[in-house]
Parts: sequence; structure tokens; C-alpha cells
Amino acid sequence: MKRSFIRIVGGLIALLSLFAALNFSTTPAKAETTYQIATDSTFPPFEFANSHNKYVGIDIDLLHAIAKDQGFKVNIKPTSFNAAVQSVQSGQMDGVIAGMSITKEREATFDFSKAYFMSGVVMAAKPNGKVTSLKQLRGKRVAVKTGTSGAQYAQSIHKKYGFKIVTFDESNDMYQDVLTGNSAATFEDSPVMKYAIRQGTKLKIYTKPALSGPYGFAVKKGHNQKLLRMFNNGLADLKANGEYARITRHYLGAKGSSDTTSDRTFLGLIKQNKGALLSGFEQTVWLTIVAIFFATLFGVIVGLLGVVPSKFCNGISTTLIYIFRGLPLLVLALFIYTGIPSLTGQKIPAFIAGIITLMFNEGAYIAAFVKGGINAVDDGQMEAARSLGLPFGKAMRRVILPQGIRIMIPSFINQFIITLKDTSILSIIGIIELTQTGKIIIARNLEGFKVWAIVAIIYLIVITLLTWLSNWVQRRVRL
Amino acid sequence: MNEKIKVKVTNLIKNFGDNQVLKGINLEVHDNEVVVVIGPSGSGKSTFLRNLNRLEAPTSGSIVIDDTDIADPKTDINKVRENIGMVFQHFNLFSNLSVSENIMLAPVELGKATKEEAAKQAKELLARVGLESKYDATVQSLSGGQQQRVAIARALAMNPNVMLFDEPTSALDPEMVGDVLGVMKQLATQGMTMIVVTHEMGFAKEVADRVVFVDDGNIQEQGTPDEIFNHPKDPRLQNFLDKVLNV
Repeated sequence: MKRSFIRIVGGLIALLSLFAALNFSTTPAKAETTYQIATDSTFPPFEFANSHNKYVGIDIDLLHAIAKDQGFKVNIKPTSFNAAVQSVQSGQMDGVIAGMSITKEREATFDFSKAYFMSGVVMAAKPNGKVTSLKQLRGKRVAVKTGTSGAQYAQSIHKKYGFKIVTFDESNDMYQDVLTGNSAATFEDSPVMKYAIRQGTKLKIYTKPALSGPYGFAVKKGHNQKLLRMFNNGLADLKANGEYARITRHYLGAKGSSDTTSDRTFLGLIKQNKGALLSGFEQTVWLTIVAIFFATLFGVIVGLLGVVPSKFCNGISTTLIYIFRGLPLLVLALFIYTGIPSLTGQKIPAFIAGIITLMFNEGAYIAAFVKGGINAVDDGQMEAARSLGLPFGKAMRRVILPQGIRIMIPSFINQFIITLKDTSILSIIGIIELTQTGKIIIARNLEGFKVWAIVAIIYLIVITLLTWLSNWVQRRVRL
Repeated sequence: MNEKIKVKVTNLIKNFGDNQVLKGINLEVHDNEVVVVIGPSGSGKSTFLRNLNRLEAPTSGSIVIDDTDIADPKTDINKVRENIGMVFQHFNLFSNLSVSENIMLAPVELGKATKEEAAKQAKELLARVGLESKYDATVQSLSGGQQQRVAIARALAMNPNVMLFDEPTSALDPEMVGDVLGVMKQLATQGMTMIVVTHEMGFAKEVADRVVFVDDGNIQEQGTPDEIFNHPKDPRLQNFLDKVLNV
């Protein structure tokens, strides 16, 4: 019996590595001139999805123009800023262009191009004039976005001006905090703030750009030097031939691209973003289905290891459950996506990393209730089966499992719903599922409340469908 | 009863941690013999029975059944168990299976019979325990006494040549006890070798070839029902009988 369990575990490992191998081989082989470039997905006007769900912005347009000028190809992958930076650090991507300020600390791990944009931090507040200068911030809260120059600036002066810093992951959340009055002001890169105000954010800029910060294109230190050289040469060409000025004016000039005229009602928002929402929804459903499959497989195997008559197997089961149930999903996702490749040098696509994360985390919970469900079956059932001469495996399969599964079904349904919801956490590693789609749309139109309401309703609809399906299945299997 | 030794237990010791429950039991059971084991609760008589088919692994000593030492870890215990039927205090019928499926499971799973043969045998066995009408019934619909008779039929389906009974009537309502004991008596008269742990002194007097009194992890006295019940020598046995017979 023990042997057949080992065979199952072996099979799982083989299956997983096959799965992984397939996916690695389907990522486009790096042709000589196609570079994989990571960018943020929500940093207008440098990078954002336009209303046709196409990524545009100063960074994107510049990079395409430079690539054309220098004769190389780029494949731009939008993800979150942190994931973009880390994916270059771990060698998963060749370069990053994401409104990234050139700083001393970053130069320790990255090689930067010449600065392609000069930014600066400005203070914005409500236009009612109550807070118009840094001095008036004493005792108040200032909203900043993690990892930005604004945050750095706030950090450097908060003692002097006596304000408290609150950090957010998304620009929109930060602006909302000021609009609702929780924070008195926000520090933001001046082009970003200007663009947001032009999109209808009811804030006003009160200070001159401080801490003027050069933005650079970055590659991993010591790597892709040719790409870096081409970027610099292309940038020089673009500045010489006027293309650079044309691009920046398009996004920052008085008559640049703007989205304020479009319909901002619920229905209007759904119509405009139908494509993006649908593809985010598909990604969420697909993640959920694949994750449930592997988590169930992993959970059942680990759960069974916990009940076989072998101290060794029981120990493995307990340890796996302890580790993966104990780790926050967010930490596990970041660890698998960015941690493992920087150790092994092997790239992991975000989707695979997401599936592995969910498999371990949800699988650990499944293992716990599989173990519990089996243990809840009266010991006498196993004793009676064994006393008839049935081997452990047969007794398990014919007598214990059918009874245990009946106990487990409600927990399974519960776990499937949790898995669906937990896929939203994978937006942190840049998988553009429903939640990340919401963030991207909001980055463009800053309609936080309405877009989140739409996203929430989509989740509720899917969960309702999943619950109905589960109840239907439950009725079918009840004997 | 004949002279062939069916079960030979030599110096059987069982420890649970620091607690020694069986302290060197020696016992021989002959073919066709009915041995009834009596004794106060906590004396180790159930543990003794559960060692005989290795539901509990013996700490030391030997248990030879039909020339196979089941205390030897190298013995294929599943093969040996096919020949040793066991009936439990709480019946332990498989609650996910119907009455007939309970009886058919082991013969079919272990390749002893085809489905058709096993179904035919299940009908016969149910008739034998007086429950032919319950063939398709669920376990949950049966009374305790009915469940225990099905459990006996289930054990018999493997054609065992020894049957172990672990307090088979202790969990039953008084009016159910008679039916179960009736089936057991019938088995005894048909020549089944039986080892029965029970508090039914009436059954012991009437059916047992030999009565064994266990206390404090050892056999304190054994003999015919007449010797044990009418002429007990050990003071602990006298004390025990005094308590159970003069209620």
C-alpha cells in the first residue's frame, strides 16, 4: 500500500514538472532581437491600458519608437511595479521601463540608461485652499504610493514638517484618501498628478516640483548591455528628430489624449471596459479551475499521507500542512514568483507561479480536512474491514473514503469558493485577472468606486454560480 | 471437540506504554472448542482477543493459529485474518453499504467469490441468522440485535475456521440479546471453534466447553463451566462471580 502511495506522489511530481516544462517551452524562445520588457500596468501617463485595453503611455511609445529606430523588437509585459522590478532582478525579464527613478540604491543592482524624463514630486490637495503649503501639514496625514519618489520625499521631510505618512499601493486609493479628507495632501510625481487632474480628479497642485528625479530604463547589472546602448542611441535620435517632443506633448500637453469626455455611468463603464473585464474574468475562472484541480490532487495526497500507518508519511503530511497553511498567500506567491527564480535562475511564468501558490496554500487546507474527514470515520469501521482480511488500501477505498468524503463535501465547496476569491491576491505578481483588471481600469479613469462595484458584482455572480453547481453536485452524490 | 490444537498462545505480553495489560498469557484452544473468557472490566480480556488477529500487535510472545505464528511481523496478516472471523461489541457494519453489500464486500474484493456467488451466499447467510428480508436494507434501518446478526453473517462469509466474539451483546437492549446468543449457539453446535469474551454467564454455562477467568492481565483460573461456576477456587474468581451472579 505504501508503495502505491509513493507511486501517486511520484506521478504528481512527474505531472507537475511536465506541466511546468510545457509552459516553459511555450514561452516564446528569445529570438535575437526580441527583448522581454517589464512595465507597470497602472502608471499613467507613462503606462496604462487605454479604453481599447491596449497599453499606451510615454514609456510604451518611447520604447516602441526607440526599438524601431534601432532595429530590435520588444515584447512589453505589464505587471505591477514591484513585480516588474523584481522580474528583471531575477533575470525573468530583460529590462524594465516603468517611470523608474534613477537612485543610488537601485544603481547597486541595475544599470540605467541616460535619463529619458525629468520628473519631480509635487504636493496636491483639495482645491478648497485649506492646505496650500508644506507648513500647513503639521499634525496631518499625507498619502503616498509605496516605492515612489513621493514616498521618499515624504520620508525625508516628515520630521521637519511634522506630518504622518500613510502608504498605498495604487494611485487612485491615494487620491481617494485625500478626497475623503482622511489625508490632507498627497505627494506624487508631477506628470502623474497633472494627468490625473486632467482625468477629472478634484485635486490641485500647490508646490513646485521638488527632488527632481530622472527616470531611466533599467537592465540587470552587468546584463543586456547591448540593449542599454541601443536605448541610449535611440533616445538621442528621437530627441534630435522631434519624435521625443511629439510623444511627451501627446500625453502632457494641453491638447493631449484625455478620457474625460467618455460616459462615466455604470453602464458606460461596463461598455467601455467590456473587453478588459471579460478577459480578466476569463483569467480568474481559468486560474480557479486549474488551481482547484491541482490543489485537490495535492490536498488529497497529503491528507492520505497523514492517515496511512507510517510515522514517516504522517510526519511529511503534518509538516507540509504546517508550512503551507502557516504562510500568508501573498508571501507564498511573491516567494515562488520572485524568490525561486533568483535562487535557481529558472524563470517561472506568472500563471504557473500563481497555480503553484494556490496548489500549496489551498491544498494544505484541503489536506487538513481530508485528514480530519478520514479520522472522523469511526475506528471500528477500519477494524472490521481489516478483520475480514481486507488490506489497508482496499479497506480505505471501499469503506473509509466513501464515508469520509461525505463528511468532507461541505469543506470542499467552501474551499473552492475561497480559492476563487484568493485568485485576486495573485494580482500582486502581475497576473491580469479580474482584480488586477479593476486596478488597471481605475488607473486610467480614476472611477474607483464604480469600477470596484462592477468587479465585486462579477465576483458575486461567479461565486453564486459556483455555489449552485456545488449544491447540485452535493445532491447527486448524497447516497 | 477433538485433540487438534487450533490456537496456541504462549507467554503473550502486551504493553501500552508503561502499562502492562497482558502479563504472559498461555492458552491452547482445540479444534471445534468453544472457549468463553470472563473477567472484570479492565482485566485485559478484550485486549487479549484483539491480539489474536493482531488488531493489537503483541509486545512479545507467540500466537500460533493453524501452524502460523501471527505474532511474527513477517506473517502476511491479511491472509491469516481471512480465516479468523471477528464480531465486535459495536457491530461496526459498514455504514456506506447495504446489508448484502456488507456481507459480499470481502469475498468479492479478495477474489474468494464472484458477485453472483457472493450474492447467493449472502442470501443463505441472512437466512441462517433469520434476516432474509433485510437483504437490501440499509444498515441504519436495523436494530442493534439485527445489526449484530448481520455482522456475524458478514464474518461467516469468509468461511473462517475460528470466530472471535468481543462482548457481542454488551451494547444491545436486553430483548435483543436472545436472538444474537441463539445464532452463536447454533454456530457452536455446528462445530465452529469460538473464543467469546462476554458477560453473559448463562451463555457460558450452557455453551462453553471451557471457561477462562482473566484478571490483572493473566489467566487466573480455567475449567469446565461446572468447575468455574460451581466450584471456583481462586478468591478473585469467587469475588467476581459473587458480584455478577447475585445482583
